[in-house]
Amino acid sequence: MDFARPKRMLYFWIDKIGNVLFRLSWHLVHAIIYLCYFTMAMLHGLESHLISRGLLRKYKYLHISKINYLAIVIESEEACRTSNVIQLLLWVATLGINHICLYDNEGILKKSKDVILDKFDGAILFQDTHENNMLLDQPCMTLEFVSFSDGKEAVARAANVLLMKYIKSRAAGSNQGEQIFSESEMSEALKTVGSGGPEPDLLLIYGPARCHLGFPAWRIRYTEIQHMGPLKSLKYGSLIKALYRYTTNLQIWYGNKQVKCSAVLPWKTVNLGKSNRTPSIHGDS
Amino acid sequence: MLSLRFAIPFTPTKTKPKPGLVVQSGWNQTDLLSSLPRRCESYKLQAATADLTDGRGASVVELPEGLSRELMPKHVAVIMDGNGRWARQKGLPASAGHEAGVKSLREMVELCGEWGIQVLTVFAFSTENWIRPKVEVDFLLSLFERALKTEMDSFRKSGIRISVIGDSSKLPASLLGLINEVEETTKNNTRLQLIVAVSYSGKYDVVQACRSIAERAKEGQIQLEDINESLIEQELETNCTDYPYPDLLIRTSGELRVSNFLLWQLAYTELFFAQELWPDFGKEEFVEALSSYQQRQRRYGGRHS
Repeated sequence: MDFARPKRMLYFWIDKIGNVLFRLSWHLVHAIIYLCYFTMAMLHGLESHLISRGLLRKYKYLHISKINYLAIVIESEEACRTSNVIQLLLWVATLGINHICLYDNEGILKKSKDVILDKFDGAILFQDTHENNMLLDQPCMTLEFVSFSDGKEAVARAANVLLMKYIKSRAAGSNQGEQIFSESEMSEALKTVGSGGPEPDLLLIYGPARCHLGFPAWRIRYTEIQHMGPLKSLKYGSLIKALYRYTTNLQIWYGNKQVKCSAVLPWKTVNLGKSNRTPSIHGDS
Repeated sequence: MLSLRFAIPFTPTKTKPKPGLVVQSGWNQTDLLSSLPRRCESYKLQAATADLTDGRGASVVELPEGLSRELMPKHVAVIMDGNGRWARQKGLPASAGHEAGVKSLREMVELCGEWGIQVLTVFAFSTENWIRPKVEVDFLLSLFERALKTEMDSFRKSGIRISVIGDSSKLPASLLGLINEVEETTKNNTRLQLIVAVSYSGKYDVVQACRSIAERAKEGQIQLEDINESLIEQELETNCTDYPYPDLLIRTSGELRVSNFLLWQLAYTELFFAQELWPDFGKEEFVEALSSYQQRQRRYGGRHS
């Protein structure tokens, strides 16, 4: 009796059924993973909404005065979304943070600075303040617009300044190499070339990638960095959460030993519980 | 649309697997609406064989699920934070935390070598750390010296090249001599370059680069108008490697800062902040960091040059 043909048919059907089962299990696994991510996104959105409405108790009070200077990095492709940028700045200003640095790699925000400044009464450019140490005394909002040219390119220009100083000192017969090439001299040189802004306390990154895209490196030595996601997904609740995280993680350095402290200090606090309404752009209903 | 890569190793029976590539799927991208996989006559799960080798002559081991060898970062930087806190949590002296930290580092070096990462830079001791109690500073430097002595043979045999960057002017002479010896002994190794930042700060790096440029200008090698970012980059201490810019920075212990580490070099580096303390950062946590990096690479393509 010839069993070859039935055997081939059997293998054929086993193979077919195996393929179908394999594909089904493949798609099932992906469906499960997709569902998990979807659920996480929903929960995140819900949490953000609850924070915005002031319904989550722990986010009701923010020690805002801990943030003297806030930096916001926006990916250049999204920097043209001026309305989103203005919305974000409005939220930040409403929370009581008045000194803000805006950065995008290609300088698109610099081109929009007049439009942005127009939206905030009394806001002035950081470059128009005389000294960094007067910054905190400014009652009004200050905005600094920064791009790649204020980062590595500025350091190169500052290096030129130091080199000129070095050449002059050698020509005068003194050898001050060690004094001239120091961190403090570099900081002064950066101010000379117009890129000597303060070190931000907190840097928020709006963009798909979790990197600061060339923000002036000299200024982020101890800056806390938080990634917020794309600007188009801007949420008030996420902003509150990021600020809360920063303001509650007080690190006190004792002889370079880090100690976490949760004591309540006499900072200016913002009570988010009074208003349930998320601040919006002037003129919106 | 959510797009994930979930690789299941398989190979069609009639084709041979690519050497060095263990985990692969039959299509480049999987999501719910992607086309069904091409039909093959049969599928078979295949485990990696240890006798496959990569281009550098080292054995290739199986990658954890979800990681792709093609998307491995070339250069990973690590801020090894949390040794002291780890020790305090366990009621141990700080020295025990640092010893445990060395073990974690050893594991990470092995994993980097196995998984095709070319450069690993670790922040061992910053310029700010000099103000710590002298006892602790002396212990850290002696621990570093002991680790170098113990591991020198192992580095040589496993193809690891050691480079040390930072302000060496404050380091003890015995340690300096040992560093020179280890660097010299391992300079021709190519499997992995381990860069240890000791007495290092990002600002110091930039300033010393400017000082080097000034010396070159004094000798007439360059003109004032030649000074630009490229020239500064050439003089940074990370010029000891072909891949000076980290693709991925990992900082442990939950801190969200770079703390004066590789300031210039981190412009486009993916930042991953891990909650675990450094002695608790192991293979699983490293895989999570690499997965996060690879996911972002897959979604958003290339970075700025």
